[in-house]
Order: sequence, then C-alpha cells, then structure tokens
Amino acid sequence: MTATPAAAARKPPRDFQDRIQVFAPHRASLPPMRPYLREFWRRRRFAYELSRTTQKADHTDTVLGAVWVVLNPMLLGVVYFLLVAVIGGSKGSWVANLGRILVGLFTWFFAANSMGLGAQSVTSGGRLILNQAFPRALLPLSSTISAALMFLPSIPVYVVFYLIGSNLDHSATALPGISWALLWYPLLLVVMALECFGLSMVFATMSVYFRDTNKFLSYLLRIWLYLSPVLYALDKFKYHQWALYANPLAPVIGSITELWTKAVAPSPSLLIASVAWAVGLFIFGGWFFVSRERDFAVRL
Amino acid sequence: MPSDSELIPDELAIRVSGVWIRYKTSYERNPTLRNAFIKFGKREGRRRQVRIVEAVKNVSLDVPHGTVLGLVGANGAGKSTLMRAMAGILPPTEGRIVVNGRVSTLLALGIGFNPMLSGRENVVLGGLAAGLTVEQVEAKFDEIAAFADLGDFIDMPMRTYSAGMYGRLGFAVSVNMDPDILLIDEALSTGDAAFREKSTNKMRELVSEARTIVIVSHAMGLITELCNHAAWLHKGELIQTGAPADIVEAYMKFLNVGQSAVTLEDV
Repeated sequence: MTATPAAAARKPPRDFQDRIQVFAPHRASLPPMRPYLREFWRRRRFAYELSRTTQKADHTDTVLGAVWVVLNPMLLGVVYFLLVAVIGGSKGSWVANLGRILVGLFTWFFAANSMGLGAQSVTSGGRLILNQAFPRALLPLSSTISAALMFLPSIPVYVVFYLIGSNLDHSATALPGISWALLWYPLLLVVMALECFGLSMVFATMSVYFRDTNKFLSYLLRIWLYLSPVLYALDKFKYHQWALYANPLAPVIGSITELWTKAVAPSPSLLIASVAWAVGLFIFGGWFFVSRERDFAVRL
Repeated sequence: MPSDSELIPDELAIRVSGVWIRYKTSYERNPTLRNAFIKFGKREGRRRQVRIVEAVKNVSLDVPHGTVLGLVGANGAGKSTLMRAMAGILPPTEGRIVVNGRVSTLLALGIGFNPMLSGRENVVLGGLAAGLTVEQVEAKFDEIAAFADLGDFIDMPMRTYSAGMYGRLGFAVSVNMDPDILLIDEALSTGDAAFREKSTNKMRELVSEARTIVIVSHAMGLITELCNHAAWLHKGELIQTGAPADIVEAYMKFLNVGQSAVTLEDV
C-alpha cells in the first residue's frame, strides 16, 4: 500500500546521503560492526556525560563526596589489615602490609564498581532504551567511566601514604621509594580499564536476562576478592601458579601491587596474562552484549 | 549490498515492507536466577510460561517525504510497536524497514533518563545519545528551553515535574532536534490548550519544510486536522490507508461510536 498525499510530491529537504538506515531481522548475531563502532565512537561523550551527571546526582562530585568515595575502601583497608596482618600474624613491616592492602583494594574497587554499576546500567536505563536508538554498549562504558572517576581520587591518597610510609620505615620489607618501575602504572591501568569494560558488558547483559544478577554478583565479588592478590602478596601463588593465571583479575592486580610495594616491573608472563585476559574479556563481553542488545528493548 | 536507491526510492522517507514483529511475553514479571534455579528440573519449569505476541502482522507501508501520517487503532493494535520499529529501537522479526533521514522520536515514555537529574541535564544526555555534539546541543538548548517554557524548573530535578511539564519538555526536545522524520506517540495529550496550539503550529511548520511526521493518537480531531494521510491498524494488521477523514470515519464506524466531542478531543 502506498501513501500518495498531494503534499508529498516535494523533494527531500536536504542531502540524505549516508543517512539511510535499514532495520531488518536478526538472530542473536552481530549488527554491521563498522556503522556500530562509528556511531559508538561518535557518541562517546554521552557515556562520559552520563557518568558525570549521575555522579553529580549522587553528590560524589563535591570534595567531600570524593573524600567519601576514597574513605570507603580506606576504612575497609584498615579492617582487612587488622584481620590479615594483626590477627593472622603476617610477617614484615606493618606499613608495607597496610600499603599493599590499600593499593590492592583501591584497584579492586575499580573492577568491582565497574561490574556492579555495569550490571545495573541497562536495566536502569529502560526509559532511554525504549525511546531512543543508540549503541547500547555506551551504557556499560559509562559504568566503567564512573568506576574510573571514583578510582582516580585514590591515586593521590595512595601516593601520599606511600611517600610517608617509605620515610617512616626503613627496614628491608618497607615500601620502596619512587622508582622507574612506576612508569608501568599507566599502561597497567589502561589494561585494567579495558578488562573492566569487558566485564561490565558481561554483567549488564546478564542482568537483562536475570534481574537478580546484582544479588548474586555481591557474593561472586567477595569470593573473587579473596581469590585475588589483594589481601595477600603475589608470592602466595608460588605453588599454585594456575590459580593466578586462571583468575582474570589476578595478573593485573598482582602486577599493580608489586609495582607499588616492591618496585618491580611486571614479569613478561604476568604482563602477557594481564593483556590476554583484558583483550579476551573485552572481545567476549563486546560480542555477548552487542549480539543481544537489540533484544533489550523487548525485555525491559 | 544493494545501493541506496534500490533500498528506498528518493521520494520516500520510510518504507516498511512485510514487517512482522513477534515477541515473547512471560507470565513471570522479571526473570531471575533464583526462579530459574528453583524451577530447574521441575516439569513446569520446562514448559516455559511464555506466550508469543504478534504485535505487528505483515505490514507494508510507504511514507513519502512531507507526509503527516496519522496512525489510528484501538489499544493493542501495534501502533506503538510499529513506531518503535521505525525508530530502530525494536528490530522487526520479519521484513524490513528502511528509513531515509534523521529520526527524532517522542514516544509514549517521553524523555528523561534519570529523574534525579535536572531537565537541562536530561536534554543534554538525550541529545548526545541521539548523536549530536555537545556544541550542537548547547546551541539548541535555549530554543528548547524557550519552547518548553518551564522557567526555573529547567534546572530542577525532573522528579519535581508535573506530567504536563514532562510532556512539554519532551515535545520541545524532539521538534527542535532538526529531525527529517518525527515520530510522535500519544505525546500531545499532555500540556494545556496554549501549549497544544503552540505544538500544533510547530508541527505545521515542520510539515511546510517537507519534514515527515508520523503521529499516533486517539484524538481523531487532531488526526483529521493535522494529517494529510492516515492508516488504520487493528490487532497488528493494516486495515486501510487513505485520506484522514475517510479513515477516521471508517474507524469510528468500526468502533461503533459517533464523532462526538469525546472522540475528537482526547481526554
């Protein structure tokens, strides 16, 4: 049936090139990736603004808000320090122990927040998803950006702790001073962010199909924390190397804590494992999410 | 890959060809891991409690540039589903929809991503999600704010807004995004008489620039007044297309109601 109103005989107002969109059926397969990635990149600012304004709504954009965001892992760091170092009676200087737990926890919270916020990103974005067409992967990206924005204020806090700590304690197991090894830090953070984005996409998709994913995630995250080199040093894995490499977050978190507490550059095997897990999870998460995202509007 | 002119002739803004949209609805409101676990192994768990809904059945429709198409039909006719498919939000189960131009949507849920954020922030987020740059959104913002006429409320969290204010802001955003194709679903019913007149005038202006508009409404007066073409959907099927007056008359006869003040004006 063709509509032929008289007023419609006019020609299109502007140049319509490159604006033709085709919506056709799919079977859990990927949409054409080139236009998808182009649109995704074009709207990256949306992901940033979304996380910035959401944080503002949660009042974490103020100085005290940022203090609160840092205070939470710091207090938890003290709790774990008491648990592990004092009650468990671990060896070495207490400054170094607390320092290791703090840097481990700060890094861990980057991943945990990214997964937790990511799990809610699609299910809480229902209104926008039902009303507008855009690459949905921007929503978990926004969660990872939020997690990164919450993580960044902990870096200066840690640097201060590190400088004071290395001056307080001069024993052999003390925190090292500023070393060249720290040049690896930015690279490891990029690897970490990529992995966080991948995990965020995985849990965002899961929560669409299982709305209580978040509840289950809180147990998973706690178990995962104890399996990762956060509360203990990397040498715990000496006799169980497989447990280190089988854990997606262990190589990268382990590398970061070694960097700060021992001033050693990541070993090639740790570095390869970190990058491999990050790239792997990013690709898997991307495929898992993007191949299902056109289903989201129906399921929300 | 077929060329552009094979996909859609130049004079068309939207081509809907043989579109079916089916989806599963579950009796279980929200699927959870807990339920999946509990039901696992149970016989009733295997027999999934789902029902297939055929929201749109084999609809084909060509919409030339400059058309103001009114979609009418009873509740559950598939009007909103078809609109979402045209916007690229719901993929068709079968068939194909080709859209030629930039689409702006004003669907039943309106704008507003986060009610904790201000109207201004929601407008910016909506614009960015639609693919505009920050500069473009900022350039349009004053126009949008002036059109919505919310005063100081524009910087208040949207949870403080009344339904009418929501509707006004939503309309202001969608018409000011410089759309080639504007999809409006039941969104003109909010707002007072003055705003309704303003929005009708704005739509006339868009039509005079040969923009294409698709309106879903139960206000038959609005359909006959504003549209130059109409289509009637019933239970997912396209029953009839034609001049708005004829379609409205046929639809009214079908519903067995006269053209009273109630049906002309949505309440």
